[in-house]
Amino acid sequence: MELTFFQAALIFYLAATVGYVVLLFTSSLRTASISSTCCFIGLGVHALSFIHRAVVYGFFPLGTYFDALSFLAWLIVGLFILLERRLSVPVLGAVAAPLAAGMMLLGATFSYQTRGPIVPILHSWWLPLHVVFALAGNAVFALMAVGGILYIFQEWLIKGKRIGRLHRLLPSLETLDKMNRHGLPLGFCLMTIGILSGALWANSAWGQYWSWDPKETWSLITWFTYAAMVHQRIVLGWRGKKAAVLAIIGFVLVMFTFVGASTLLGGHHSISGPSVGASQT
Amino acid sequence: MKQEIVLVGLNHCTAPVAIRELITFPGNENGDTTKKFLSTKGVVEAIVISTCNRSEVLLVVDEEPHITKQIIKLISDVHGVPAESFSNFLYLKRGQEAVHHVFRVASSLDSMVLGEPQILGQVKDGYRRATYVSATGPILNRLMHKAFFTAKRVRNETGVALAAVSVAYVAVELAKKILGDLKSACVLLLGAGEMAELAARHLAGHVTNPPIVLNRTLENACSLANRLNGRADTLDTLNHYLLEADVVITSTGSCESLIQQDQVEKIMKKRRYRPLFLIDIALPRDVEPTVNELDGVYLYNIDDLQTIAAENLTERRQEAMSAEKIVEEETAKFMEWTLSLSCTPTLVAIRNRLEEIRRSELARSNGKLSNLTPDQREAVEIITRSIVNKIAHYPMSFLKKTRSRSKQSLYLDVAQKLFALGSETEVSAKEGDDREKKRRDET
Repeated sequence: MELTFFQAALIFYLAATVGYVVLLFTSSLRTASISSTCCFIGLGVHALSFIHRAVVYGFFPLGTYFDALSFLAWLIVGLFILLERRLSVPVLGAVAAPLAAGMMLLGATFSYQTRGPIVPILHSWWLPLHVVFALAGNAVFALMAVGGILYIFQEWLIKGKRIGRLHRLLPSLETLDKMNRHGLPLGFCLMTIGILSGALWANSAWGQYWSWDPKETWSLITWFTYAAMVHQRIVLGWRGKKAAVLAIIGFVLVMFTFVGASTLLGGHHSISGPSVGASQT
Repeated sequence: MKQEIVLVGLNHCTAPVAIRELITFPGNENGDTTKKFLSTKGVVEAIVISTCNRSEVLLVVDEEPHITKQIIKLISDVHGVPAESFSNFLYLKRGQEAVHHVFRVASSLDSMVLGEPQILGQVKDGYRRATYVSATGPILNRLMHKAFFTAKRVRNETGVALAAVSVAYVAVELAKKILGDLKSACVLLLGAGEMAELAARHLAGHVTNPPIVLNRTLENACSLANRLNGRADTLDTLNHYLLEADVVITSTGSCESLIQQDQVEKIMKKRRYRPLFLIDIALPRDVEPTVNELDGVYLYNIDDLQTIAAENLTERRQEAMSAEKIVEEETAKFMEWTLSLSCTPTLVAIRNRLEEIRRSELARSNGKLSNLTPDQREAVEIITRSIVNKIAHYPMSFLKKTRSRSKQSLYLDVAQKLFALGSETEVSAKEGDDREKKRRDET
């Protein structure tokens, strides 16, 4: 029961992934709509899993990597469905669905808690504020990276005059660049709010805004990277391929900051695994 | 009397242009020509389909020995040309063959340019004109609706109409994939050649901004710009206009390249890397090929576009195979329906005969049943009716389910003899049609 909803959602996302891969090879529109439905149902079941976790937890279920990665996957799928509806680009799913499924599988490698947070610090209203904004920023960056991958692929097809079925299936360069154009300021704002709220939380919990733990340092590096991207885009007019490559690099950095920095380098964001709990006193 | 679907016509495969020009069924705007066919003896329903590459008459006829001769004669009368001049180019299709042909035509599998979308509209026009003069009945109505349905299936389920197969259209599709919505795009023409004009005209349908024409002599530029409702200037201003343009079509007779890599590199920086789509259809080429290596610049020459168009045509041909399967499927379904149609009169007659027996037997026992209450009388009605229905059920469903045409006509014959129906079937044939019509309206 603990994981039924989670597993069901994962299965739906994996099924959608298979469908989108079939779409890549056949351009069958029916497969696209079935996959899209799978994502939609998966999203619903996934939401149920959060409600269930919240009931078990007695609070926002965002305190562990298991929950945070699961939530990030949920945001990615939700954002993908929104974009698919607006831009009618089902082929985005060929990258977005496996990405979400991958997040969940990664999350499953971390242990999950069956009781409420042991650490009182996680029982704070700052938690949803900080985590939701940070993760929403990550989700936007994820979709930007998805758009970037497709942009590079589509441009490679056009430059190389490989004009065939795949070229027609992929959205136009303009559409893909639009994702970058709109995603960049949105994601940047969300990330900024995420970092600021984290600092305020740290101040209220530990009496200090910034303590240079590995995750804080890396998130600052990521923030500067995206700030540079915004600058290049607005001031120098960087777009297209350059912007696409940067979006992918940026997202790799985001994922390292999110998962790698704390698990590999430690610090008070290491809230999961054997050493459960915020270590800083 | 049995009815049959007959199709007489000619198309680009069977007839040369000279003949196709001759046979066009003029004066059919309000369905008048269709009406002429309808007034031929033996013709029950008629539709005239006329496009640039085909002229066809689709009819439902009663079994008449010389019907095709009459039709050919009428075609010759309508056009005022002797029948001998065109009758060799005609094809004649009956029954399943005709249905199959109509479905193929509507799905654009029989077109000169495989999968071109206009044909469906032209078939619809022909059908609409026939309905103006009420020339269609239950069979052709259903046939045409099924043809449109088949065309829709082919369109949705196969890629037969997807890939662009003309050079100009390939260019437009590419421009869309690079620039997205072309509405606000700016088109720049270098050189006032015919090819450039053709490509520009194709683009014009998607672009709202007036095109810009640059030429060595301003006079020629002006005359082309006038035809395209655009602006004109001399070639010296090229660098200025390259900043504005999104799509550039070059077709000058210049011997050295007009657009060089370093020049475009500088311009791209000034354009803030806004994508630039260059179409070079000049020979020798106007644009240095290495320009394609620059970020955000996409260069295609005439050979590239032609190769793509050819590849797309091959792709359409492959897709056509799965489209043919859909057409076969729908044809089979339609033929099944016509079978059920031909057994309907007999079924109605059997039902009528049984009902008649029931009534006469009830009437005969009227004396003995006179002291029944109305309730009891109704019960007797219900019982007798349900007995008749139960008896009729198995033979009738057997007749309906028979799929093979030859077997069915044998069974229908036997059924008519078993119930001693004889000539009554013909009387009720009309009734059957009405019922069929009703059934169709309901669905």
